[in-house]
Amino acid sequence: MRNHDASHGRVLRRLNVWGLSIAGLALLAGLLGFPVTGWAEDAASASAAVSYRDIPQLGGSRNVIWVIAQLHLLLAGFVLGVPIFAWLCEIVGWKTDEKRYDKLAKEFTKLLTSSYATTALFGGILLFLLIGFYPKLMTYLTDVFFPSFLVYCALFLLETVTLYLYWYGWDVMLEGRAKVFHLFLGFLLNVFAFFIMIIPNSWATFQASPVVIAEGSSLARAWAATWNPTWWPVNVHRLIANVVLGGFICGAYAGVRYLSAKSAEEREHYDWMGYVGNFIGVFGMLPLPFAGYWLMREVYQYNQQMGITLMGGFLSWLFILQAMLIGVLFLGANYYFWLGITYRIPGAEMKYKRPIMAMLVILLLCLGVWMTPHSLVASLEEARKLGGTHHPLLGVFGVMSAKMTVANLMILVTFMSFIMYWRAGKEETATWAKVAKAMMSGLFGVAAIVIIVLGVWGYFVPAIVRINYFSVAQVLIVLFVLLTVTPLTALLMKTARTTSEMVWGRMPPRAGYALVLNAVMVILLMTLMGYARSSSRVHWHIYGVMRDSSPYAYSPALGYAAAFMSLNTFIFCLLVAFIFWVATMGDKGQAKDAGHGSALPAMAGGSQALDDRTDVKSV
Amino acid sequence: MSEVALLQLIGLGVIGAGVVILLFIQSRFPRVIGFVMIVLGLFSLIALSVPQMASLPPAEEKFDVASIKTANDMAVIGQKIFFSKGQCALCHSIGPSESARCPDLKGIGAKLSREFIYESLTQPQAYIYLDYRHEGPPKDYPARMPHINKNPIGLTNNEILSVIAFLQQMSGEPITISPSEIEMPGQSAPVSTTASAPAPSRPSPAKSKAKGKAKRADAGFVAMVHGR
Repeated sequence: MRNHDASHGRVLRRLNVWGLSIAGLALLAGLLGFPVTGWAEDAASASAAVSYRDIPQLGGSRNVIWVIAQLHLLLAGFVLGVPIFAWLCEIVGWKTDEKRYDKLAKEFTKLLTSSYATTALFGGILLFLLIGFYPKLMTYLTDVFFPSFLVYCALFLLETVTLYLYWYGWDVMLEGRAKVFHLFLGFLLNVFAFFIMIIPNSWATFQASPVVIAEGSSLARAWAATWNPTWWPVNVHRLIANVVLGGFICGAYAGVRYLSAKSAEEREHYDWMGYVGNFIGVFGMLPLPFAGYWLMREVYQYNQQMGITLMGGFLSWLFILQAMLIGVLFLGANYYFWLGITYRIPGAEMKYKRPIMAMLVILLLCLGVWMTPHSLVASLEEARKLGGTHHPLLGVFGVMSAKMTVANLMILVTFMSFIMYWRAGKEETATWAKVAKAMMSGLFGVAAIVIIVLGVWGYFVPAIVRINYFSVAQVLIVLFVLLTVTPLTALLMKTARTTSEMVWGRMPPRAGYALVLNAVMVILLMTLMGYARSSSRVHWHIYGVMRDSSPYAYSPALGYAAAFMSLNTFIFCLLVAFIFWVATMGDKGQAKDAGHGSALPAMAGGSQALDDRTDVKSV
Repeated sequence: MSEVALLQLIGLGVIGAGVVILLFIQSRFPRVIGFVMIVLGLFSLIALSVPQMASLPPAEEKFDVASIKTANDMAVIGQKIFFSKGQCALCHSIGPSESARCPDLKGIGAKLSREFIYESLTQPQAYIYLDYRHEGPPKDYPARMPHINKNPIGLTNNEILSVIAFLQQMSGEPITISPSEIEMPGQSAPVSTTASAPAPSRPSPAKSKAKGKAKRADAGFVAMVHGR
């Protein structure tokens, strides 16, 4: 009975905190929104049809919107990625009966409550600012999309109710059918989250690729505008990217906690958490380039000029920066795998030294090719010496055929790293193991050769043949390798004998920094590609439909934009750190109350020993 | 100091601050912040080292009535409207195109009368074709064309006449729109370009030859789109 009361007390305390935080956020939103409504009234009295408002004192309306929209999007990506991440962990915990996965899932769900409110707060601020700064555009979009606004609100209500049930019902739905129902709630949470993501996507993609909206009911018009050519490519791309973001942020959190861990138990726990985060991040990252390729294909098909603006126009250098960031991300993810093999698996260091070196060289070469610009900005004299704007030797690497080839090779190498890590410290006992291993090696070898052959052949065929057949074939080959080698390895490992146990908590500090670096790269990539998508509309609010006639109709140069990207990334990192700190503050207090001192990790799921402690289970 | 130089200075400052944190602070969390600052500073400096190109918007096209002297002047303005404010090129192509979502307008000025073009732009549902893509009797097939003279496109009468002039010129036909038809500011429409009576829901056999051609062409397009 005492336990029951205590549990009620805890729930009430949580609700109180939650209620207070919501009230505080609403008040803050109101205060922030107040001046905007004031300006709106002034402007409305001055003119009946105001197109734009500005606040030059704060660096201009466009820059304010840039920061707020980017932070809202990053938080939204995090809020939508974490439930996928948590739900997957919960399923793994349920299937394998390893409680630490369940606890990890629960602790990340705890983050959702505070991050959900923060995301909604930024969404509210963004909406106020958009209505204030861009009334004409917002009126147009409202006219087109009003029915989907209503659906969006309804989905938010459903998502909120499901999140409450999912989070507050965790401890009472631990076993049997109740657990299955809880997993179903997690599934529903992700379904609603998915629809919450794709509805605003329709607004944003309509701005980039509008379609003709004929007469009809408001629902029919909204539906027609929603089904624009880039809607689904963006939906798929964002869904995968959110999983990557959630995974790498979990990894970064684990990295930071690992660096400041005070006990062996904490080190073990956060080392393991870093591994899980990095694994999910890499898992999502492998198919992401394919989704990006599909999106670009649709952009080209929708409007060739927009595609050229992106890939060959003033944004072409942006893709060199993108290549650099993705390259560093691939290197960081692989480096973390290699450190894991070296430090966690005793005796594996020497065995895998050569393959690791070979993979590092391949990755660096691929990165070099990917980062080679298509043409060089050169003076007339320099161009004469070069024989054109293309470098006589390196120019050959600047074209799409080479870049597609190396991107696919980098995915293959990363996948090899992952398979190597999976198999390290184990000896296959299946009778067909040799055949399977030979087959896997053959698959990797043949796939690499075919990808290179198609890449070289791509130089000698018309672009349309390369884009429609060769590039697609390269992508399909890599997907085929991923989808055949993964289940084959899983089958092999099922009966494999462990030769050296994995030892957690022995990674060097640079592993923690590698995890932080990966997360920063993913966030920077999201900000960079957000700028690319926005700038591809050039001087249009809605491409070809509504022109931007404000003083900010220009797209700024990359350097200026990069400063904003860095600023947004930094603020977002601080916000996430704050959310983590707030969410885990209670755990530390409870740990102290229970008299366990500092040995208890703030984020649950430290180890099996921790799971077995009955006093911890009741927390 | 130029904007780029200023941003480079800020980038260097951020990197410097990060290095100082790593050198002098032992606490882990500030050290991670210092590391992130170095990464972001480096990224900014690299982005500042590539060619800095901003994309400036082109000057907006204005319909200057005073500048129109000949029918060709109207066609020139009509071409600009066709590719900008009119949004015609968003769906229509001039010549075969894989990406065009609506009928190819090449030679359209030769196939259709100016009255029919005007009516198609301002009353797209005036003639509703029949849809045979299902069992049973054919149903109406409403056009996907928006009203060009209404929001969001909202072309004025002068602008629509200019677009028609462009379509006729582009088709190698003599321009039948005269500059005298242009409405001056504060003046009502001098010429009635189209019937304003409610349109019948079926094409009338009494329409001109040009309209008959248009009907067939569009029906062919409908069939082609739906694989018939």
